[in-house]
Amino acid sequence: MKKVFVVLMVIAMVFLAVSCSKGKTETATKATTQGKVFNIYAWNEEFKGFFEKYYTVPEGVTVNWIINPSDNGIYQSKLDEALLNQANAAADDKIDMFLAEADYIGKYVDSEYTMDISKIGFTNASTQYEYTIKAASDSNGVCKGVSFQCCPAAVIYRKSIAKDVLGTDNPAEVQALIDTWEKFDAVAAQAKAKGYYMTASFAETFRTFSNNCTKPWVDANDKLQFDDMINAWIDQTENYIKNGYTLTAGVWDQEKTNQMFKDGKTMCFFGPAWYYNFCMTNAMDPVQGCVGDWCIVKGPQAYFWGGTWLLAATGSDNTEMLKDIFETFTKNEDVCSKLVSNENQFPNNTKVVEKFANDPTYGNTAILDGQNDIAVFAGLAKDIKWENHTNYDQLLNEGLQNKLQEYFKGTVDKETAMKNFYQYIKETYPSIKL
Amino acid sequence: MDHPRRKLTRKKSISYAKWGYIFIAPFFITYLFFTLIPQFLTVYNSFFESYRVGLKQIGPTFVGFRNYADLFSPDSSGTVLILKYAWNTLVIWFIGALPQFVVALLLAVLFTSTRLNIRGQGFFKTVIYMPNLIMAAAFSMLFFTLFSRVGPIQALLEQWGVVDQSFDFFSYKVTVRGMIALMNFLMWFGNTTIVLMAGIMGIDQTLFEAAKIDGANSVQVFFRVTMPLLMPIFVYCLITAMIGGVQMFDVPQILTKGSGQPNETARTLVMYLNGYLTNKNYGMAGAISVIIFIITGVLGGFVYKMLSAQYKTDKTPHRRARG
Repeated sequence: MKKVFVVLMVIAMVFLAVSCSKGKTETATKATTQGKVFNIYAWNEEFKGFFEKYYTVPEGVTVNWIINPSDNGIYQSKLDEALLNQANAAADDKIDMFLAEADYIGKYVDSEYTMDISKIGFTNASTQYEYTIKAASDSNGVCKGVSFQCCPAAVIYRKSIAKDVLGTDNPAEVQALIDTWEKFDAVAAQAKAKGYYMTASFAETFRTFSNNCTKPWVDANDKLQFDDMINAWIDQTENYIKNGYTLTAGVWDQEKTNQMFKDGKTMCFFGPAWYYNFCMTNAMDPVQGCVGDWCIVKGPQAYFWGGTWLLAATGSDNTEMLKDIFETFTKNEDVCSKLVSNENQFPNNTKVVEKFANDPTYGNTAILDGQNDIAVFAGLAKDIKWENHTNYDQLLNEGLQNKLQEYFKGTVDKETAMKNFYQYIKETYPSIKL
Repeated sequence: MDHPRRKLTRKKSISYAKWGYIFIAPFFITYLFFTLIPQFLTVYNSFFESYRVGLKQIGPTFVGFRNYADLFSPDSSGTVLILKYAWNTLVIWFIGALPQFVVALLLAVLFTSTRLNIRGQGFFKTVIYMPNLIMAAAFSMLFFTLFSRVGPIQALLEQWGVVDQSFDFFSYKVTVRGMIALMNFLMWFGNTTIVLMAGIMGIDQTLFEAAKIDGANSVQVFFRVTMPLLMPIFVYCLITAMIGGVQMFDVPQILTKGSGQPNETARTLVMYLNGYLTNKNYGMAGAISVIIFIITGVLGGFVYKMLSAQYKTDKTPHRRARG
């Protein structure tokens, strides 16, 4: 009997503890005092690095990072779990801020789990890029967060290979030779003839196409739609694989990034400013790398890729700190300048961008040949539009690439690959009508 | 006279069984709350449509057997996916389990043989058990790195001219399934060896001696004495291995990055289940769990019946003689 009592007591105590913590949160939100623990959900260490370098955490506050990888939707599912539990969590366990990518930001912005940042005293500035504000706003135009970067993307090419293939490595001349897809394809054939690859991954150009889609993945009636742009990408990739212009590696695979070493045989890579630090570390390798052998140009089609938004979580008890972080990474010109000069980022501050774009002494030497990449990106950034996004984008883009990779590798035929993709959608999003 | 006697009988009836129950209670309470109730809930959930779209919960709505009907309805090319995945699971398990049991039996017999009397047994036992200590996910990641397109094995084989540059271990059904089976074999043969050794050591040594005196050779001793007497332990090992096999997940999941490539031929039942859990689809995931449960039960029963039948026949003449 005693044992039973002990068990009952333990259960009773657990319930008591849970209900107590519930009570605590209610009082905490009423009070104006700020919390002691600041919880941030993220999917990688990228922003954490900048945060630790450029943001001074108020005294007495501990920052707690909860990092889960985004592959297979792990980050989203862990975050969802925490957000759904947000109301019941103890004040110090509540998420204060979380990071979201372009591919699924809408899911969180258009929900009650993010809060209006004007309510915490942050006003959007004219120096922020318009699309970054639109992406972080819900369907009523209420803004729920900010982006610390702006992600116009370009073609990053190897100068030495361009010289060999095209006879020039001058950005203006290279751009003139690859400014349409037809010309790009023609150059790919030339590169192949010289023993080079045009790109190093079957999905390298995917974002350029998917970003220029004219309709979203899923329409208002939850019906899946294939945009012509996606089909154009599939056609192009079929052609590239058949002719050996590209490799069958995925965008994040080591086989691809190994092509960035000095002895790599690939001419073009597609990416925004974050691509340098995040994907091109092989190129920056002091021994095997090839710093200075790179330049950027717009390429055949303007697009943007990714971006990291910082969203304010409803229920945060650190609203002052939230506002402070938002201001540091968007309005603080000193920090934004350092993001450029020390970290090779493209900041979400037009004033700082203009300063660097017009500065004749500025040049990117961390990886490029001293070219003013900010000037190139600035020209592309102003045209970025935020449209045709759905909450399903991440897993649909990822799924399509994964299933088609098998087709491009020659393991399965196209029909089977597409069948597998549809099956994947059926499992992942039962509500989407195929 | 009566009084002390009554006292004595009362004392006799004192039972210490309650202490036994108290000591086993923690297990049963934990089992009840963390295994049995969830098991029933899984069955219950399998009759509902319940999943999430983003942060919105859909359902739960009672749909009867619709989830099961969905699972068994063929896709556009006429394949019933769950059967395909069940087949994948069993094939991969079988090609790993076959060497696992052969090698384990062989090692167990060698190590317990009084004739060979192998020295340094402690060392060998530790070494063969070692792979089991590595986390399956880490082991799988290791294989992924070793056999990847830019991995050392590919480089070595290219250098030797065995394969060309376009070769990819992950593009062939045989190699991917083979890798998974090899990992399962490496991880589990040590464990099986140790359990089987314990089983063999439990057999009365005089039986082996008697057999030898009667002129039986090693092979005869193995098939006529060791195996029949080891059968209960062997069946136990086989059934537990099969349960583990049907639930195979972490090794293929990590090795193929969740895709079960090529063309989903390395996708196991639990990987299929896991796919539905991306959006907390408890209805479909529940239905798959129930099917896995049934498959496990049927296979377990089948193996038990088949193997222990042989073991029981040894007793029948004995009983007859008695009757």
